Order: sequence, then structure tokens, then C-alpha cells
Amino acid sequence: MCDIIWCKKEVGGKPCDTINYLDPYCFWNWEGKINCAECGTVYYIHMIQGFMYIGPEERPGEEPDIMPLYADKPFDGYSNYRPGVEGRTRPYECKPRAQLKGVADMVKFSIRGRPVRGWRPQPPSAGLAGSFAFNWDIQKLSPEVWEEYQKKLAAGEVKDW
Amino acid sequence: MPEKRDIEINSRADTIGLMDMDVRPYPVTPPPSYDQVKPVYERRKALEFCDWAEDNLRFEKRYPKDEALSGLRVLDIGLWRLGHKFCASLFGESGAEVVSIEPPSGDPLRKLTPFGREEYLLTNKLTGEKCGMEFVNETVNKHCITLDVEKEDGREIFKKLANNVDILIDGMPPGYMDNLGIGYRQLKEINPRMIYVWIGMLGQWGPWKDKQSKFGQWELEPFASCANAWVHNTGLAQDLLPRGKGGDPTRSGIWLADYVAGGQGYVNALAALYWREELGGTGQMIEVTGAEALMDILDFDITWYGFNASIKARSGGWDPNLNQYAWNPCKDGYMMIGGQTDKLWYNIGFCLERDFTQFGRLIHEDPFLKEMGARNALHALIKTYTLTTRWLRDTNRVEAETKLLEYQLAAGPILYIDEVCEFPHFKYRPWVYVHETDYGPLLIASSPSSYQVRAPFRCKWMGRDLGYDNYEIYLKWTGMGQNKVNEMKQKGVI
Amino acid sequence: MAKDPRVTNIEDLPGPKSKGEMEEWKMPYEEYCKKIFDVGNEHAKPRPLKGIKWLSCTMYIFTPHSVANLAELGAECIKIEMPRMGDAMRHTSPFNECYLYPLHDTRPMTGTGLGFTNANPNKYFITMDYHIPEMVEIFYGLVKKFDGLTELYRPGTLDKWKMSYRYLSEINPRFIYVWGGGFGYGPKIFGGSYDILGQAHAGLASISGMHEFMGGHCTKQTNWVIDWQSSNLITASILAAIHHRRKTNLGTMIEFSQVQVPTRMLGHTTTMYGKFGIVRQRWGNWDTQLAVHGIILCGKSDFPDAENPQDKFDARYAMVSAFQDADFKELCAITGMKELYEKYKAHKDRVEGEAQVEIYSALERWAADKSRSEVCKILNNAGLLAEPVRNDREVYESPHYRERGTVRWLDDPLFGDMLLHAGYSSGLMEKSPRRINWHWRPVGADNKKVYNEMLGIPLSKIQEWYDKAYI
Repeated sequence: MCDIIWCKKEVGGKPCDTINYLDPYCFWNWEGKINCAECGTVYYIHMIQGFMYIGPEERPGEEPDIMPLYADKPFDGYSNYRPGVEGRTRPYECKPRAQLKGVADMVKFSIRGRPVRGWRPQPPSAGLAGSFAFNWDIQKLSPEVWEEYQKKLAAGEVKDW
Repeated sequence: MPEKRDIEINSRADTIGLMDMDVRPYPVTPPPSYDQVKPVYERRKALEFCDWAEDNLRFEKRYPKDEALSGLRVLDIGLWRLGHKFCASLFGESGAEVVSIEPPSGDPLRKLTPFGREEYLLTNKLTGEKCGMEFVNETVNKHCITLDVEKEDGREIFKKLANNVDILIDGMPPGYMDNLGIGYRQLKEINPRMIYVWIGMLGQWGPWKDKQSKFGQWELEPFASCANAWVHNTGLAQDLLPRGKGGDPTRSGIWLADYVAGGQGYVNALAALYWREELGGTGQMIEVTGAEALMDILDFDITWYGFNASIKARSGGWDPNLNQYAWNPCKDGYMMIGGQTDKLWYNIGFCLERDFTQFGRLIHEDPFLKEMGARNALHALIKTYTLTTRWLRDTNRVEAETKLLEYQLAAGPILYIDEVCEFPHFKYRPWVYVHETDYGPLLIASSPSSYQVRAPFRCKWMGRDLGYDNYEIYLKWTGMGQNKVNEMKQKGVI
Repeated sequence: MAKDPRVTNIEDLPGPKSKGEMEEWKMPYEEYCKKIFDVGNEHAKPRPLKGIKWLSCTMYIFTPHSVANLAELGAECIKIEMPRMGDAMRHTSPFNECYLYPLHDTRPMTGTGLGFTNANPNKYFITMDYHIPEMVEIFYGLVKKFDGLTELYRPGTLDKWKMSYRYLSEINPRFIYVWGGGFGYGPKIFGGSYDILGQAHAGLASISGMHEFMGGHCTKQTNWVIDWQSSNLITASILAAIHHRRKTNLGTMIEFSQVQVPTRMLGHTTTMYGKFGIVRQRWGNWDTQLAVHGIILCGKSDFPDAENPQDKFDARYAMVSAFQDADFKELCAITGMKELYEKYKAHKDRVEGEAQVEIYSALERWAADKSRSEVCKILNNAGLLAEPVRNDREVYESPHYRERGTVRWLDDPLFGDMLLHAGYSSGLMEKSPRRINWHWRPVGADNKKVYNEMLGIPLSKIQEWYDKAYI
């Protein structure tokens, strides 16, 4: 097995059966010890050009050098450990914001506090054959957002930059 | 074929002549013939159209066709950078008469050579003068003259040259020409129809305008692409490779922002020319910077910050907007695979599980990977590309491409330059070809605008000795005879 | 000239002709530049391509942006999309997070993703199904009125529908027809193309990224740079063709293959292989032809307490440049690398591979206890060139781009408050500047405007076509 470690360690009478994914750029050439995200078993591996040259060999009692980024359990409906689960997977820091959503972000105001049409659903407003004019009548179409905007204006939360 | 001969190699220098084009002919394998390509056209029932296209667009027919900008005069002054040079090359390729001014000591770019190795300088076959390859490649169809504009006589001559040009490209530091009294605001008095294009890194004005060190050293690329977040956003994540060992923001292998600025300089200048000629306009000043022209095409990155304060992070060979759309390491290099829609995405799985059955199981069974948008989540990318690379590590690029193309997927290997030059399609067009120059036959890339029915771009010559065109240009553009030119040479002006 | 030689008119003298001009001449150069570009007043000035009309039968980034350049320069451009669906690029967004709504009225839950940004500003958006012969006739009507089009379909596709240059040039001999795609005629003519394929296939990827001995891999350029740069070069070809047409009155066809563009931009790479048999490799953040001229890792982040991980962890890189002898000497003096100066006095010695490894390693050791801004400050104070590697937030907050108007807020007519970093940034023009009116519009937003106001189709007919999904 290579590029993934399918951990079969017996834990509490059942095999662990967790797949630890060895992400390609990190492990393409790599030597050291890595833990299973589920049961914590430490494996020694030595990979050269993507090949598992040695391992995975169990190293009981030793500390891992690295954790996997992602692991999942096929026999458990693919329940998974995503990056950054403490003690199980290693954190992934190179992200555009501290927390990513992975689903559409419903945004009503830009970072300087002015309305932007980043939420759904939008009330219908097109004319013939889907035509639109050159203005967004927010006051009429989305009065609740307009209200909110007025409050922001009054509170001085709307900025030029 | 050259004769066999015994050689002794004691150092790198001994190998130099052994690799030249007369010894090691290009291409190694012949390009595909039309008869080999014809069945490709026929299979899609497009033979008639493709034949028409070949008849009308072929690269080999470029020289007899007209040139788009013939009669246009372009003057180019600048050092070091490729921005103004690429811009002027585009003018040269499209038929304008381009004159490039260097100081009598020459553009320092002429002396640059990879890792400082002088044996890789090109040598003019007739004169023996040496020149760096980068300079030669970005000096297309240009007349090279010398002039020291820091001398009074030089400025007078410069004004005469500028007097009847349509376009002046200025690649000097901010305000340099203005300080000498030969910048836009002075020249527009004598030539109000001139379009003056300044091309630089960050600007001639503004808080971050182009700087020089106290010893006069210029800012060169990648200063521009560091200033617009391009470098910050490029490279592999520190979570995949350690910092300092590849997990860092990374510059482009080329002076990228220069090429983008050069291209936009040309576009803006031609639009200004259209306004001048067709709509009764005048000359004007245009300013193009590498940092901004590259920011213009930085996808949506800054807009994204304005939307919800996201700061784009680097993602290496993976694209954060699409899955699969990435390259990963394979048996003999790197392989790019693309397929985002369900149809294509599952096709990748069907192809890979023929050799690696676990792939189909672990990918297609996983409920989190069933929906197209959800597959773009970070952990989904990690899983998908780990398993894809598990297949790739046993597969070389040719095998991978062949297998994936059977499933109608976009797939292509990362090619190194020797492979680029031997790629059958590239040779057929050809996109690289042997061009005879003053430095002997050189392998060069053709212009992507060379494939046109009427007025294709073309390379006629490349590079020139320093001041090669002095006599001709000074005679034609300023009326200075050879004695006068020689006199100026003695004074160090030319 | 004044008739009386004793009278001197200011017009006859060299130099400024009026008091205003006199002031202009005396103004510091920077102020002068700022004054003539007059940022913010672009719309008061003429459009350089006024009167040019272009059709955009395009998708993704590459071909749409070739028309966007024209639209920014003042041409009137119409983008034709498939009814209901629209351009596939509308459905891409980073990490599936950022959309603007609606895509069009009948799909209120679907938006246009940020992936669509900057490739289609100022265009009018109509829908048309070319498979319907009735619509092809309408298309011909547009061709008669327009100067040209850009399309991206597989070669031969529009020919089958009698919409290729062969047919259109008979309707309008002045028509300029652009096909943009991956490969063009030849054995791989039907090969699909993406930006990333261009980067990979044509040599750019092979020379970008950290070298193998540094533990690195090839890296993708962050943006779809080959799509974008190819589109700029298409616009260059279009403008050259327009100038050629002014002389000859003839249109043309341009076949433009994006996969070729990276090879054209490889500088000496191809020539070095041809002449010396050397296959250029990656060289990371350094330069193969200049030293010192590279990006170094500093020990500390500038914003260790920031919430955003890009500020917190990655504000650690600085671009340092001191390749000329005097600069290098000063750099060595200030960073305590005097022995390296003695060793590598000559540029040709310090630009050698091993020397670069030694010098940059020493520089990073020197920077190990400093932040990025400390490094830049020390070097700048010594008169040397060093700049931080900046991120998107720093670009947004940069006083430079704000003053120059190249990053600005746009009150988009339909989508509201959107930040803009394109268009104005592709070049300042004194007298006939580029301008952006809107980022994009919903699918089919200008059906009435174009079909009725431009082509005179009755409103009832437009409704009928819409109901039948012809448009």
C-alpha cells in the first residue's frame, strides 16, 4: 500500500479500518513516522518518488514526526477527519480566511458596508425575455436590506474604503 | 549528417560547439506530414474546412502577405527590462518601422547570460560581437542605434528622431526623460501627434513609483509581481511542503509582468492610434506598469477581498476553483488532468480504476464527493489528488495522456523545453522553428499572431549588433550623413 | 509672426504659450502626470474605439477577455450566450463560496460566481441558440452591422452552421473574424484547452517553482495567466487587423492558439536548448541571470496577531535586489557577509548556481530574527532595493493603487458595491482612457435592447423566441 495507509490495527476487538491519505506533494519523497488519525498507531515509512520503499512499519511507543492531512473510514459511511483536528490531523494554514465555509456565503454588504447582491433568492425583476435595466432598485426589491443599510449609514459603519 | 569524430571532453566548455544546430540537427524526429494529419480532420468530418484553414492561415505563407502596420514609425528607448522591448517587438512583428535606442555602452541586458556563463552568449558570425540570448529573443525586427541622451548633442539628435515618429516607447525610469528636457511634455510641442507610451514596474508617479538604489540600480521583475500579490498567491502551501523547501510564495520562471505590460502597451497604443487617425484625435501619453497590467488579469483576487475579506492563498499545482483541474507528480514528471463536470469527473474515475481498482471504490462511493460544488472543498481536493497520484506514480506521462484521452478528458503532461520543441503538433504548425540570424541558425518561438488570412505578424530578423543601424537610421530619420555620425561617435554621443 | 518686428508675441517664442502652460512646465513631473491622467474623470474624455462593434461568441476567460479589452476601450460589444445556461465560467467560484445573484430571473437560487469577474465588463448580454436556422438568419443581421467577432468553438463547428469566416466574409467583406482556442490546424486541432494545459504543455510550468534539489515541485502560476495574456495578444492582433483594414478595406480571419503563448514568452529558453542542448530547469525564487535578485524568507511575520492566516503566517517574504557591484558590496556590508563580497566580487561569479545557494542561504540566516518590514527597512535605509511580497489586502489598502485609480470601488448598476482591480489598471491614457461601466450583467439581460432596439424585431416575436428557448 502506498500513498494511503489503510490502518488495520485491532482496536477494542475491531480493526481500525481508517484510511490515512498521504498527500502527494508532501510525501513524494519522505522518510519518517506518521500516526493513524483514528487509533494513533505510529507507522514508519520511507517513500521515494511516490513509492513506499520501506513501510508502513508499526513503531509502537514512538512519537510521530507528522500527522496526515485527511483521513476517512469507508466502513463508517466515509466519516472523516478533516485538516486541523487536534492530535489527529495536521492543521492546514494556507487558507484565504481563518474559517472556510465551502458553501455559498450569503453576503449583503461589501467590506466597506454598502449593499452588494450576494444573497439568494432575489425577487424577480426582469422585463421582456429576461431583460434588465441599468439600476438595482434595492429599496423596492429588498426593503429589509435597504433598512439595514440606512441603519449602517446612521451608525457610521459605511466607509469610503 | 555530420561526420563522426573523436572528441575529448574535459570541461563544460568543450561541449559547447558539439550541441549547435549544424551538429545536432533539429528536429530529432520529422514533423507530422499532411497525410498523417488528414485522417484527424476526416474523423470529425471537417476536412473541407480544415483544408481551407490550412490554405489560408498557414505559417509558411506569412512572408508574401501584407504587413498590418507598415509605414508606422516607432521609437523605443529603454534598458534592462523586457516590457518596453516586448512592446516594441510586437510593433516590429506587425510591420512597423521600429528603432531602438541604446546608450553607446549598450543595454546591460546584452551581457546577461544564464548563471553568468559567457560561453552561452551568442556570437555574430560576421563581426564576432557577443550578445545574450534574452536580448536577442526580445529584439525582433528592430533597428538598433546608439545615442547618449545625457549629452547635449544627443538630446538634439533625439528630438530630431522624435520629431516624426508616431509612437515613442519609453522604458526609462520615472522622470528621466523629462529631466533631460526630452520627455512627453517637451516633445509634444514639436510633435503633438506622437503617442508616448511609458512602460515600467509600478509607475512614474504615486507613492510606490519606480525606485532606484542609491547606486542607480533599477527595479526589475519580479518587483512588479511582488507588489500586486501575484507572487504571494503563487506557489505551494507550507502545509504540503516545508517553508524554504518549496512551500513558499513563488515567482514565475519568466519576467511575467514585463510581458503583460508590453502586450497592454501595444494594445493601448494602437487604440490611441485609431483615435488619432480615425476619430480626429491627437497624440497623448500612456502609462502601463507591470504591477497594474498583471493585476488587471489577476483573476478575481482583489474583488474577492472586497466581497468577504478573503486573501487568496497559494495552492501549488491545484486550482481552488475546480476539481479536477491540477497537475500532480507522476512516474516521469508531472501530469495535468482536468475534468470538473460530473460526466468528465466520473470519466477520470472510470479510466483510473482500470489499473487501480481502489480509486473507483474510494472516490465514487464517498457521499461527500457526489456533488460538483462540494468537490471543491479543501479536504475533497486532498483526497482526490492523493488517490489520483497513487495511480500516476505507476504511470508515465505518455501512458497517462493516452489513457485519459480515450475518455475524452483534457490531459497533458508538463513538458520540458526539449519535449516542447519535439511535440508533434508544435512542429507541424510550427510553434518553434529554426530562424537564420546574424548569430547563425537559432531555434525560436514563432509569434502566436502569425496565423492570419491577410496581415500576419512575423519575425524577420532577431537581435543586432550594438549600433548596427546607426548610419541608415540617422540618415533617413534625421538627414545626418556618415561624416556627421562619425563625428558624433568620436564625441561619444553615438 | 507679428508683422511689426518690434512686437514679440508669446506664441512665437519657444517654450510655454500661456500662463497655464507655463505652470504645467514648471510643475514637478509627478504632479504633471497626475494632472494629465486626471484619475476619476475618465468618462469626460472620448473613447478611443468609439464606433467599433464586436460580437463575443465566447466562454471562460481567454476569448471573452479579448473582447473585454475592446469594450473597455469604448467599443460596443455584445456577448451571445446559450439560453438559460450562460457561459460555463459563471458557475465557478473559489471554494464554492462567492456568487452574485441572480444568474437570470428564472433561476433565483443560482448566481454568477466570482470566476466570471473581469472577463466581460461593459458588454451587452444576449442569448441565442445557433442550432435554430431562424436564429442564424438573425445572427447574419448582426454580422452586417458589426466589425468582427471572437469565437471559441471546436474548429469546423461554426462552419457547419455556415457561420465561419468563409460565409461571413461574403456577407460583410470588412468583417474581422477571430477564432481562439488551444491548438489550431494540425494533428491536435480538436484537442481541448485550458489555461493550466497551456502552462503545462508549452514549457512555462517546467521553469516555474522551486528546484528539485530545494525539495520543490513545478508550480502553477496563480492566475489563469495564459488565458488572460493570450486574450491580450488577441486584442493586439485585432487592433492591428483594424489598422490594416483602414488601409485596405478588407477584413480577415485570425486563428489564435493560446497554448503557443507561453512558449513565445520563454525568453532565452528555446534558443538555449536549440544552440547548446541545455534544458532549462526551475530556479525557484532566484534569477538565473542576475544575483542578488530574489525573494527571501524572513524569520518573523509582520502581523503575528492577525486573524487572517495569510497575514498571520505569510507576511514573511521580501524581494531583495542588489546585483550591481556597488549594491552587492553594500548589501554584504550591511548584512555582515563581507567574506561573500570578497569571494563574489564579479557578477559572473555570484550568479553561478553554487554561489547563489551560498549567498541566499546567508541572507536568510541574516533575516532569521527579523520581520519582513525590518529587512526592507534596513536595506532601504542603506539605499538598496527591497520590497515586501504583498498580499491581496495590502494591494487593496495600497495608497499607490488608490491614487492611480487602478484599485477602486465600482457601483455596479445591477450587483451593487464591487471592488474593481481591472480595466483602469491595464494602462492609463491621457486623452482617451479606458473605462468600466459594469462588471457583468445577467444572462439575456439585453435581449430587448439588442433584438428590438438594434434589429427592430417586434416585442411579441422576442417573447415568442424566449418562450421557445431560442433566446
